[in-house]
Amino acid sequence: MKVQTEKDWKNIIHRCFRCGYCKFTHDYSDFNCPSYKKFRFETYSTGGRLWLAFGVINGDIEWSEGLANVLYACPTCGNCMENCRFDKFNFMLVDFIEAARAEANKQGFCPENQKFLLERTTNKAYFNPYAEENSDNEDLKKQYDLPDEAEWVYFIGCTSNYRQKNLRDATLRFLKKANIDFTLVNEHCCTSPLLRTGQLSPVKDFMNYNIQKIKEVGADKVITSCAGCYRTLKNDFAKHDAEHDLEIIHTSELILKLLKEEKLKFTSEFNRTVTYHDPCHLGRHSGLYEEPREVYKQIPGIKFVEMKRNRENAWCCGAGGGVKIGYPDWSIEISKERLEEAKETGASIVSSTCPFCRTNLSDANKAFDMGLEVLDLVEIIDQLEYEINE
Amino acid sequence: MSKEKILNDLEQIVGKDFASNRKEDLFIYSLDPGASLPRVVDYVVMPKSVEEVQKIVKLANKEGIPIVPMGGGLTLSALVVPVKGGIVLDMKRMDKIIEINDMSKYALIEAGVTTGHLLSYLNENYPDLQPPVPDAPSAATVAGNVLIHGSGYLSQKYGDHGAMINGLEVVLPNGDICKVGSCSLSDYWFTRGPIPDLIGLFTSSFGTLGIVTKLAVKLFYKPKFREVVFGLATNFDDIPNILSKVIESGLAEDVLLGMQDKPDWMKGYIFVIVYVTGESQDEIDANTKVLKRIYRKTNARYMKTPPRIREIYMEKPIFAATAADFRKGGGFEYVGAFLPIENLPKAFKGGAEISKRHGIVPTIGSRLIGQTHSAMAFFSYSFNRADPKDMKNAREALHETNLLALELGGIPWKAELEGQKLILDKMDPNYKKLFKTIRDTLDPNHIMNPGNWEVE
Repeated sequence: MKVQTEKDWKNIIHRCFRCGYCKFTHDYSDFNCPSYKKFRFETYSTGGRLWLAFGVINGDIEWSEGLANVLYACPTCGNCMENCRFDKFNFMLVDFIEAARAEANKQGFCPENQKFLLERTTNKAYFNPYAEENSDNEDLKKQYDLPDEAEWVYFIGCTSNYRQKNLRDATLRFLKKANIDFTLVNEHCCTSPLLRTGQLSPVKDFMNYNIQKIKEVGADKVITSCAGCYRTLKNDFAKHDAEHDLEIIHTSELILKLLKEEKLKFTSEFNRTVTYHDPCHLGRHSGLYEEPREVYKQIPGIKFVEMKRNRENAWCCGAGGGVKIGYPDWSIEISKERLEEAKETGASIVSSTCPFCRTNLSDANKAFDMGLEVLDLVEIIDQLEYEINE
Repeated sequence: MSKEKILNDLEQIVGKDFASNRKEDLFIYSLDPGASLPRVVDYVVMPKSVEEVQKIVKLANKEGIPIVPMGGGLTLSALVVPVKGGIVLDMKRMDKIIEINDMSKYALIEAGVTTGHLLSYLNENYPDLQPPVPDAPSAATVAGNVLIHGSGYLSQKYGDHGAMINGLEVVLPNGDICKVGSCSLSDYWFTRGPIPDLIGLFTSSFGTLGIVTKLAVKLFYKPKFREVVFGLATNFDDIPNILSKVIESGLAEDVLLGMQDKPDWMKGYIFVIVYVTGESQDEIDANTKVLKRIYRKTNARYMKTPPRIREIYMEKPIFAATAADFRKGGGFEYVGAFLPIENLPKAFKGGAEISKRHGIVPTIGSRLIGQTHSAMAFFSYSFNRADPKDMKNAREALHETNLLALELGGIPWKAELEGQKLILDKMDPNYKKLFKTIRDTLDPNHIMNPGNWEVE
């Protein structure tokens, strides 16, 4: 079911009983919802948000800045979906929140900070939410000697291209070494930040533009190192009628595939203790939990340890859903809790598979002097020696 | 004093982040998932300590503002939605588990600790101990549940959850902090007597006599093995005898009855759901055999439990919110009524008739409390929250069920305002007079959850 249309979500949202399961971890030992844990009023639980949304639909409460702020004070991590017990309803909880945000935006109540995302992304000089001059990636193509046409496109994503260049470059080096037939395109934002913040007006055009650019180079496969781009390209394009037949694959999936096919063999050791932070976009929203773990476990010398809350139960890094831009201090507080959990494992490295998680975890690591190292999986592999067998 | 000044004072007490009169917060606290209509809330406040509660109560008293303590907000009968406006005191920031005494077997906790949190804490740290846990969602607070005479899977053996309170710390309406139970003279919160037992003042009085900030609840040894053994009966009149024989065997930890007309295969049966416990699988098998024999001799029959059903019933707590989702409409309320066991047949029959009259699929259940000393019967009405007519229909069914419970010598449990009025109408005038005298003495300004238990 698609819930971005009025008819869909407005007719079912009242099924939420506000029983509160959505607020807790599986074993009730802690809160799973960063927003409820921070604000503590029932209003800030998923149930509270759904009841507010139903309240405005029903005419019981009017739209206001305060109401919109409640809707936006949520990283849309989807942990509520894992714990809501109502089948055929729970998987839509984040869609409801995003749909309610779109409605808030339509009513003129999108918070100011989130509006920047739209302004910057639709600025023809940028096409990205960071207000960086748009890169057509031609320089990178030259630097890495990439062809004009290829089977694969590496969709870099704005965060890797403008904020986490080390991750981007590590990915490019890996793809080259692995002899993947790939190229780059003049990509624009995948629209994830706009979708999450209910600013939908340009979304379909951006999606179709990116599909067209990928098709133009003859690719039928897209690889991305960004969990947000992955979820958006794989799941959200179709929800917004930007249909495509492209195969979308995350770097962790590709690396695992190469390992399984024995095309990739690590030949050096990584003698560190590493724990893995599940990105919400990749885990709960896309169901990829084991692929990255299988890769870490095959790295020689690594001691791989799990945090208490992992996989479906993983605590969010706090960056998503517009929270990083809307509530920067709270956003890194959420990450701090994740880093504290990581420290309990004895790990010295927190690794993830998402540049946005990497950014926020790194920001918290620095701000709170946590003394950990934050690295993407690809950045770890970049430090290794390995053989590629055709 | 202006509303803004009052908010400012509340912010001074609990911090700016935890006092609100924002419309969106007031809206959420103005209704619960039951069938009651929304009511006005003026402030929502989340205290962190007993001292903060004390200051809030003193402020409320000075300004004549009603004050309503709230736990999980899951009574479904809107007991924590103010009747006369004022402050909702959401207690969930007071969430410390202060002490587990594994020898005298009690947990000393703050009033905002949820049933899920305590259960999880014990599972991790004291796996041989178990707390009283209701079938309510795990977001329910322990305090909220025990203070309304809740019940759960240990109630058959040990009584309702109100009976499992060892002691309370209460902020009285004048702001005094009062300890009740052995904790009033001892470091051990291990018993409620042998001193005048005033704990009862604070149970099922719905916050009208004070605000509980800490409490000690009994913990119980957790047997290593547990199993559910289903029986099927077809005649309502057999129920009391079946229950008596099951209890006489001494084997049952928990005994539930269930009856519902949907899905079709369930229609016409009364499900007898008995939990047996033991220290070995052999003991469970032996106890199951005894139960099978009892079912045979009491005109019932043993039902082999399908794995899917077993999984549902073995979860602790049972996921009772399934009943709330029956109509997929987000609304649910039930009359729970404490009944004499001999009147259960009439209750099941009468409840089914009420349901049918209102076009609702009959869904009725019961749990034995304190052996066969009473039973808590529940008559469930789920409804579509988006349909005002359906909500009205549910309210009417609830009202008729309250009348039925009273007619059968029972007492509606955690009754909504209308139910409270029916109970008071039937109550001995001198009981009412005693309650009113106590209330007027403790709360002369009538600020504590006014509108509830109003004796004229």
